[in-house]
Amino acid sequence: MSNEPIVKLVNVNKSYGNVYALEDINLDFYPGEIVSLVGDNGAGKSTLTKIISGTEGPDTNGKIIVDNKEVTNWSSAKARARGIETVYQNRALSEQQSIYDNVFLGREITNRFGFINRKKEIEETETLMRKIGYTSKVWTPLSSVNKLSGGERQGVAISRAILFESRLVILDEPTTAMALTEAAEVLEFVSNLKKSGKSVVFISHNPWDAHAVADRFVILERGKIVFDGPKGSMSADDFIALLHKFAKKDIKS
Amino acid sequence: MSEKKKGILIPERYKPVLGAFIFFVVMLSAFIASSPDVFLSIGIYSAVFLSLPLFAIMGLSLVFVTAAGEIDLAFPSIIPLSGLAFAWTLQQTNLNFLLATIFSVVVGISCGLLNGFLVTKLGLSSLITTLGMNFALIGLCNVLNNGAVRTFEELNDTRIKSILVGSFGPIPAQMFWMVLISLVLGMIFHRHKFGLHVRVAGDNPEAGRAMGVNIERTKILCFTLVGLCASIVGILGILLLSTYFSTMGEAYLLPVLAAVFVGGTPVTGGKGTIGGLVIGATTVVFIQTGVVAAGLDGHWTSLGFGLVIVLSLLGHRKFSGRLTR
Repeated sequence: MSNEPIVKLVNVNKSYGNVYALEDINLDFYPGEIVSLVGDNGAGKSTLTKIISGTEGPDTNGKIIVDNKEVTNWSSAKARARGIETVYQNRALSEQQSIYDNVFLGREITNRFGFINRKKEIEETETLMRKIGYTSKVWTPLSSVNKLSGGERQGVAISRAILFESRLVILDEPTTAMALTEAAEVLEFVSNLKKSGKSVVFISHNPWDAHAVADRFVILERGKIVFDGPKGSMSADDFIALLHKFAKKDIKS
Repeated sequence: MSEKKKGILIPERYKPVLGAFIFFVVMLSAFIASSPDVFLSIGIYSAVFLSLPLFAIMGLSLVFVTAAGEIDLAFPSIIPLSGLAFAWTLQQTNLNFLLATIFSVVVGISCGLLNGFLVTKLGLSSLITTLGMNFALIGLCNVLNNGAVRTFEELNDTRIKSILVGSFGPIPAQMFWMVLISLVLGMIFHRHKFGLHVRVAGDNPEAGRAMGVNIERTKILCFTLVGLCASIVGILGILLLSTYFSTMGEAYLLPVLAAVFVGGTPVTGGKGTIGGLVIGATTVVFIQTGVVAAGLDGHWTSLGFGLVIVLSLLGHRKFSGRLTR
């Protein structure tokens, strides 16, 4: 693991009117690391995601540093070009199309007249599906997405991130509203994502899922980072106790 | 799963085509059984092939719009309006075919663009917008044409007419144009990235946008394609009869929509089939021609249409199993 962070946030603030959604955020994302970002509703998780993925800009005083260089006019197109890919829950797939059509959507492999090179797309999708750990042998790249389970669908969306040379993959609530086995499948995809050399920001409400995949925890409360540390030997129970501690503090104040 | 139970492996995407084809064969068998002497002679097929291309070419563009999750009901008026542009220019320029074609295509495309803009940029419902445009455009057409019937006897022996709507043996020339246009549009719909974007636009436009697909532009192009095809149909229709009259588009609305749905393109958007459309159009035109040829009153045509549409929808659902919700 190299020590140069892919993305570094320095004193990032984000306010909507008088309300601070994020306050003085200093956060680094290193290569090959899974960071679980947890916190209650309104803690600032999604705002933070939007800033990293470029869909929203921070307030003027903060800095976003990518590969040791400060970026200006950060946008989602720029973020994608720099290898930062966001996988949104349920928003990213066209269910009636095939898996390979979905994987390559918007970035089709075509000849110069725009006709899709199906053979190549199917081959690459097959490789991807193996890489990400598709255990089901029923599906081929030609299967349409509406036959897949929720977990498998997430897998398709995640495999897109692998394909396009991304380095930092942001997964926004990838296990929400999923049955246990499906969620387990997604967590497996996430670990494989790390094995293929990607960094992952895993955003979740579910402390067990967040604990299971993480190398490092970042806990947000009311727009501030209240905890940022490695998982180490912390058990799931310890982690949940930690979450409760911050939540309680929040209630008292 | 349903594939395995039946013991035959048909790729999902060919099911609607096969369904439409089985339906056509059943219908044809029924016709042959009812009056064999008519339906085993070549005459009836020549008659079908005469008008089939016009319905099919129109329907092809409707597959794109329908798959994109929209509908276009304005084409029955774009046909006579762009046809008027063609006929008028022919008269004004002493039969300058090229100029007339260009003007007609420009009119057709403009109407399509207008529909596309109204639907995507202003966010209006395509059903209501194009229904309104259907009235508006036929009104405009009637005002401009003022009830004239324009005849072009002098076109009868020209080479251009024999190339476009002449005949090769028993097969009308327009059949070849239909096949050619179907192949091109089929390639675009099923193999080109534009076709994929059309289907995504009808299925989950948000997903397309998130991946950088320009959904609005895709939909506008679909409406434009309807305008283009309407103008082609207008031109072929005028050449076929050597006559222009402003009611020439009236007969298209229901048969063309029927062809789209009988062909296996679902009204819900997200997918469609070009091969199915051609078979669907053949089915529909066959009913029109066949009912009359079988010696039945023309009113039976409507009854036939109704039955075919409902039965074919049931058939498609049965065929694609639990996937059609």
